[in-house]
Amino acid sequence: MSSDDAKHAALEEAKREVEEAESLTGASAVAVHATTGPRRSPLVTLAWVAPGTIWLLLFLIAPLVMIVLVSVWQKTPVGFDPFAFTTEGYTKLFDTPVYLDTLKDTIIRALIVTALCILIGYPIAYFLARGVSSIRYQIALFVFVLAPFWVAYVVRIVAWLPVLGRQGVINYFLVEVIGVRAEPIDALLYSNFAIILALVQLYVLFMVTPIFFQLATLDNAAIEAARDLGATPAKVFREVILPLSLPGVLIGCIFVFVLVMGEFATVRLIGGGTIQSVGTLVYDYYKLPDLPTAAAGATILVAVMTIGVAVLLRFSKIREVV
Amino acid sequence: MSDEQNGLVLKDVYRVFPGDVTAVADVNLHVENGEYVVFLGPSGCGKTTTLRMIGGHDDPSSGTITIDGELMNGVSPAERPITTVFQHYALFPHKSVLQNVAFGLKMQGVDKAERETQAKAAIDLVGLTKMMDRKPRELSGGQQQRVALARVLVTRPKAILLDEPLGDLDRLLQMKMRVELRALQRELGITFIHVTHNQEEALSMADRIVVMGDAVIQQVGTPEELARHPRNEFVAKFMGDNNVFHGTISGTNGGNVVIDTPHGKIEVKGTGTAGQPGSMSIRANAVQVSTDAVPDVNGVKVRLDFAEYLGDSVKLHLDLAGQPFLAKVPEERYTEIRAYEGKDVTATWAIEDGHLLEQ
Ligand SMILES: Nc1ncnc2c1ncn2[C@@H]1O[C@H](COP(=O)(O)OP(=O)(O)OP(=O)(O)O)[C@@H](O)[C@H]1O
Ligand SMILES: [Mg+2]
Repeated sequence: MSSDDAKHAALEEAKREVEEAESLTGASAVAVHATTGPRRSPLVTLAWVAPGTIWLLLFLIAPLVMIVLVSVWQKTPVGFDPFAFTTEGYTKLFDTPVYLDTLKDTIIRALIVTALCILIGYPIAYFLARGVSSIRYQIALFVFVLAPFWVAYVVRIVAWLPVLGRQGVINYFLVEVIGVRAEPIDALLYSNFAIILALVQLYVLFMVTPIFFQLATLDNAAIEAARDLGATPAKVFREVILPLSLPGVLIGCIFVFVLVMGEFATVRLIGGGTIQSVGTLVYDYYKLPDLPTAAAGATILVAVMTIGVAVLLRFSKIREVV
Repeated sequence: MSDEQNGLVLKDVYRVFPGDVTAVADVNLHVENGEYVVFLGPSGCGKTTTLRMIGGHDDPSSGTITIDGELMNGVSPAERPITTVFQHYALFPHKSVLQNVAFGLKMQGVDKAERETQAKAAIDLVGLTKMMDRKPRELSGGQQQRVALARVLVTRPKAILLDEPLGDLDRLLQMKMRVELRALQRELGITFIHVTHNQEEALSMADRIVVMGDAVIQQVGTPEELARHPRNEFVAKFMGDNNVFHGTISGTNGGNVVIDTPHGKIEVKGTGTAGQPGSMSIRANAVQVSTDAVPDVNGVKVRLDFAEYLGDSVKLHLDLAGQPFLAKVPEERYTEIRAYEGKDVTATWAIEDGHLLEQ
């Protein structure tokens, strides 16, 4: 009952949001047709499929369609002309190397953060799932690891400022306490290094959680069998535990990669305006306001993310077959 | 230590889990090399725990385990010359049949070409050559079990431990695998230690059966010994098709003791002291059923509730003053004996067929 109610409420809210967006963009024709279509069908199977379909349409397809439409619609002083198409938004992006360079940086940053999250997150997940024997301690420690997530996102970003800043903890330590530097290092803050550090801290849990659950539900008998057949602890890990935990790693990679690709607040705050991501670039166009160019930038970002996830999934398929 | 014995020896083995749970107590057992031994007992009696201690996945709280004279306590499973076929097989789901079977050799550092040759031979032995490249989930239960067998055979262990190896299979496949397992063991000539709670399975496969109950070994013997001479009431009841009488020993008569029971006097081979409690068992197929008068000794009046036709015999479900009593008669008597359903008949047996039980 209650979960139905919640779902219903969420749907209502989503519909309201879409309607608001529609009134802004004039895209009502497309969205309304899409949401009411399946409901009219008398088929029971369709009724079963409908909620999921509507959900997808509202939260994934409709926003995407809207972004793509906005990116090609001709801007008018009062809004958009839905009958005039232009590729101005795209050409503007590709006229200068800024967008492509930023896209490249964003992808590299996302890959580095994902890799670091694996390196840091896997041992944490492994310790939680297999190093802690009692389920009670496991859950307690897991909640403890989750604790930073109860703090608002922006607060967690801002918390880095007194650590990395010119007068922050690290510089104080380097200059005053051990005295290895005469001058504080500016590059600690407002650098790619700082952004990556902050992003890893923000998103490592999206790696830890799926790996933790994968490892915690691992078949112990398979591990015992490997030991029985002469595997050393290192071999047990390499031959059994690691391959069986890869699905968790894959899900973690998708989470972290997608989230970091879309990142903009961390980059803005820690990067201090000197370092860009596709997200901050899109935001800048949006503020101008130049919605078509912002939408074009977002469309390309979504396309790149989709390709990235597809490559990851492909990679995992290959792993399973070999 | 002092007397080096070949084969597997368990000496005064106990396993007490935290919380004072005694899972295994006072186990003494000698398994000869090449023997097929079945551990039989009801759920929770300590079979798996015993097997895990032999395999090295658990250690005795006290007592010693030796293999060919070598002390095994504290030795890791990998270093013991025995391997386990786990309950539900525990195959590696991400590896192919060939990789699963070759795993043990890979761990021993055997090079790829050699281990694949040996693994293929083992796969051939269990008849799965055509499915070598499949993943475990693409196999049926019986095929998975053969992979598990091949995976341990390829490492040439001195002994193989099998925990409920037939438990996941349907009845028809169980019958088939009983024969196959036994044939395989004969062919290889290595020790098999097999755990089950199915007495029929134990009787049909074992060289020797170890009956466990309440954490201790109740009796060790050949299938025939266990069927004919159960040592105590636990074994008599667990092996099935036995009738047990309790009473007080009233005296002796030659080499026999006489037990006074609520159902009359029973004479049975053995010795005892008058006044002591005495129990005896009689196998269902040693009981004769007739309409004769009830004799003074070794005979009871019973009511025939139901004659169950079993194909090669007829099992008679009888009622002895409110308690179930079993008899088995030849299949030819089915028609004749059915006429007595619901009527009183006389059950008798020869003195030498009865069996005095330990208290
Ligand atoms: N790790 C453990 N901690 C505490 N008690 C245990 C542990 N493992 C087993 N036991 C207890 O020891 C007893 C014997 O268990 P075991 O698994 O050996 O039984 P089993 O004969 O194999 O039974 P089944 O036929 O059901 O598999 C049981 O009472 C069980 O609860
Ligand atoms: Mg068991």
